[in-house]
Amino acid sequence: MDVITTRGLTKFYGKARGVESLSMSVPAGSVYGFLGPNGAGKTTTIRCLLGMLKPTAGEAEVLGEHVSLDGAALRRRIGYVAGEVNLYERQTGRWHLDYVAGFRGGRGGLEADLLERFDFDPGRKVKELSKGNKQKLALILGMAHDPELLILDEPTSGLDPLNQEAVYAVIDERVAAGRTVFLSSHVLSEVERVCSRVGIIRSGRLAAEEDVRSLLAKRLRDLTVTFARPVEPALLDDVTGVDSVMVLGETQLTARIKGDAIDAVIKRLASVEISDLRISHASLEDVFLEFYRHTDADDAPRAVAGGGEA
Amino acid sequence: MSWTLLRGTFTQRRTSILWYSVSLIAYSWLMTWFYPQIGGGQYADLIENMPPEMLALFGGTEVDFATLGGYFQTEYLGLMWMLITASALIIFAGKAFSGEIGAGTMEFVLAQPISRVRFAITRVVALLLYIVVLAAVSFVPIALFGPTYDIELGAETFWTLSAFGALFMLAVGGFALLVSSLFRDSGRAGAITAGVMGTFWIADLVSNVSEAAEVIDPINIVTYWQPGKIINGDAVAPEAWWIYGVLGVVSLVASVVVFRRRDVA
Repeated sequence: MDVITTRGLTKFYGKARGVESLSMSVPAGSVYGFLGPNGAGKTTTIRCLLGMLKPTAGEAEVLGEHVSLDGAALRRRIGYVAGEVNLYERQTGRWHLDYVAGFRGGRGGLEADLLERFDFDPGRKVKELSKGNKQKLALILGMAHDPELLILDEPTSGLDPLNQEAVYAVIDERVAAGRTVFLSSHVLSEVERVCSRVGIIRSGRLAAEEDVRSLLAKRLRDLTVTFARPVEPALLDDVTGVDSVMVLGETQLTARIKGDAIDAVIKRLASVEISDLRISHASLEDVFLEFYRHTDADDAPRAVAGGGEA
Repeated sequence: MSWTLLRGTFTQRRTSILWYSVSLIAYSWLMTWFYPQIGGGQYADLIENMPPEMLALFGGTEVDFATLGGYFQTEYLGLMWMLITASALIIFAGKAFSGEIGAGTMEFVLAQPISRVRFAITRVVALLLYIVVLAAVSFVPIALFGPTYDIELGAETFWTLSAFGALFMLAVGGFALLVSSLFRDSGRAGAITAGVMGTFWIADLVSNVSEAAEVIDPINIVTYWQPGKIINGDAVAPEAWWIYGVLGVVSLVASVVVFRRRDVA
């Protein structure tokens, strides 16, 4: 059963495109990563799914119900954490918890557990909270009532690594309990950590949809090597999957490595003496540019499975 | 209606509500206390020395300045009270829809299981309650403190003044709420409502000295606001009740309809 289904979902703000002809489905019990660079249309899609925006065309179904602007009953089954946390600055975290409890007819079953796990003090006013603590409060407010569907728009923004991991652990637990998570993000490592399948949106259109393993195969890494002594500039030239090689002086080299080529690169580097080595993951935006640069010209979104290039 | 939202609305607006209430109580008491100082014959002498054009500008054609009603209309209820209550209502109504959308908190509230109609109706109820509060803090002090300073309003006058004042606020507040439902920025919504009210006020002033400006009078809600005549015991023109009532109710209903269909994020 699909928890989210959209058919030709389109939203224009005047002449500006938010999202266009988006058709996708999210299976129950999964963590679906909704990926795309900033401004791609992720938040617009989410707001359409929640009935906050009226689609220009197309339709959406969530938890088997047609999404309308007045869907209070549907929202009872959904937990939402907005990408940009906007709460009542002069009120405390406790006030917000009471406020949500008032709307939902009681306290969320996970509230006490989440307060403890995120080490959050609800007695402080929102205006006194750091960005990370506001994010924690938003997460607790969105997840406390253990909804059937969690819609998280960049949920770890502003959180330190420890709390990021706490969020991922909660997501894992909720999915194990049969819940579904729709997670918007532009952080590749986050997607790798929690998602099973991803939809990639770019310029308002679904550029590709695939499972995380195939996305990982497309992973880009930026390599910087400092050699102990001068080496041949063509050291990596014949390694498949190595791109943009630049030699800086006689002892430093930078390159971009695609997917599984990292293994071959490391084996080649093992033949020379290295004084420093740095490997960083390229941003998701770079992955898009590398693999989806041609999809703008296509009208139809691509559905790719099994690691083939889109 | 949602009790949670209603409670939340007044909690969030409590400081503003408190300040406006205290200010109106103080102002009403001050004007009541001040009446014996300059009221009656002294006030009439002062007025007689004013140029007729200036008298006309301040509604001299509608109410006799030398009377109790004339005093209250000129010194308080005809202008300052309108400014205070209009600003209170414009701020309150502005926060109700456009303020929440602009601040992003609407997204948080509407992620909860509350329908838009319920949300909007609760905000309408909150506005109506606020109007009752503003009417009470405006007119009860006059009735309460009045006898100490030789001012006797009488029960019928008090209730008429309170009801008509509340209806005037309903027209202003309803219109402000409608404008608020149309925009996503409370500042812009407030500026538009204030601009319309300012235009009405200027048109009313000009119509006192220029016949050409009288064409707007039938729809000018400021023109119908004649508290001095009520205090002097005159009846309120039936069309004034209708204009305020219809404008208020239609605006409130329209604001619910507009909010139900609009984008809120």
